[in-house]
Amino acid sequence: MKTFRQIGWLVRKDVALFFRTKDTLVLIVVFSVLVVLIFGLAFGPVFPQEAEDRGKLAASVLWTAFAFAGIILLNRSFDVERASGALHGVRLTGVDPGNLYLSKVVSNLIILAVLEAMITPVALQFLDALDTLTFQTLAKLIGVLIVGAVGFCAVGVTISGISTSTHGKESLLSVILLPLIFPIIMAGAKCTVSLLTAEGLEGNFWISTLVIYGIVFLSSSYLLFEFVIED
Amino acid sequence: MLLQATKITKRFGHRTILDEVEIKVQPGEVVSILGPNGAGKTTLIKILSTLIKPGSGDLCIAGTNALENALHVRPSLGVVVHEPLAYLEFTPYENLAFFGKMYAIDSLERRINTLLGEVGLAQFAHDQMRVFSRGMIQRFMIAKSLIHNPTLLLLDEPFSGLDVAAKQFVLDRIHHERSQGKGIVLTTHDTELAYIAGSRFLFLLNADLKAVAQKDEIAVDELAHRYEQDLKQHQMK
Repeated sequence: MKTFRQIGWLVRKDVALFFRTKDTLVLIVVFSVLVVLIFGLAFGPVFPQEAEDRGKLAASVLWTAFAFAGIILLNRSFDVERASGALHGVRLTGVDPGNLYLSKVVSNLIILAVLEAMITPVALQFLDALDTLTFQTLAKLIGVLIVGAVGFCAVGVTISGISTSTHGKESLLSVILLPLIFPIIMAGAKCTVSLLTAEGLEGNFWISTLVIYGIVFLSSSYLLFEFVIED
Repeated sequence: MLLQATKITKRFGHRTILDEVEIKVQPGEVVSILGPNGAGKTTLIKILSTLIKPGSGDLCIAGTNALENALHVRPSLGVVVHEPLAYLEFTPYENLAFFGKMYAIDSLERRINTLLGEVGLAQFAHDQMRVFSRGMIQRFMIAKSLIHNPTLLLLDEPFSGLDVAAKQFVLDRIHHERSQGKGIVLTTHDTELAYIAGSRFLFLLNADLKAVAQKDEIAVDELAHRYEQDLKQHQMK
């Protein structure tokens, strides 16, 4: 019970800090909208008539926007902890590093999910792909995006924790993170294409990859996070 | 024994910061460690507070091996270092509320208000800490280190950046906590403050922690004189 309470306080603190500073919020929203606009302007105003082509375009736009917004988000995630030694303050409370990790994953997931909820309808509407979607497919799409975001945060929080304690953290995060999140982006994009073109998941391979990759990183990082944050 | 550090050694690269340092703290004892800038005082406090690990040596806090059970001993420590160890985007009240909840403190609101009043931050309780001066942050740090009523206080330069009144407050608080049976380790380069606050004195020079005297064995002038002499010898090496 104490564990859940501590995770709850840590998540509330992270979300409160995120909305208090607002600079990262503005940055990731503007960045995501910009990605949608650029793709929309490049491929529009008349989009491909074939549902498959439109689906592929929408999937590309969504995952490009979320991947880069996610990297910006994760990059800032530990900045606030390291800047004034707050991470040491949290460690001194005796919190389990695994719980600290889970709280970071949950708080980043909440923020990324809010971003996805804002950007997905806008992007689909802008790319002329929203009208063809049924409510059921849209629900599945949201499910895939959230599972993808879980995996993304599971990997990203660990790498962000490592990179913020080193010099050249921003470039290091991108260099280490991109190869590690590649399977998530690939599986997520494939699932999204499948949903937008065939209105269902074709086979279980990509969604299984997405789920298993997330679980493996969540569990291993939970156990090893002590070594990430200990000096 | 509240704290027992044995043969603590720490190296950064080829430089030895602490060389087989030994320190013991009993309940109701204030150990003042004097040392110049760069002597390794902060490193020692961070090791004693389990924030960084020593290269070798043992650390026992309240009978528990602190190097193997850091999570268990940390809630019994109150720590002041050069960093605020808090979120500058929050107000002092929000920070103390957050850390108080993490420590699972009862009657938290009353405790926060009492502590903020004691450190003279009551009127700034709801101001963002980003605009605070060094002295105000130091006052907050004192409040934060006491929020969970720890049994061992580790204070790295607790008088730094404080005005006369605030220094007196910290001294009074150290005496108060000592009278409650708590153990305190404080570092400073000010011999007078070290003498007023401390009950036992050590010098940290050349990575070596040297026991000097108990308070009843030495006068403040003599402590200052011995510190200056040792410091000169250290600088000549």
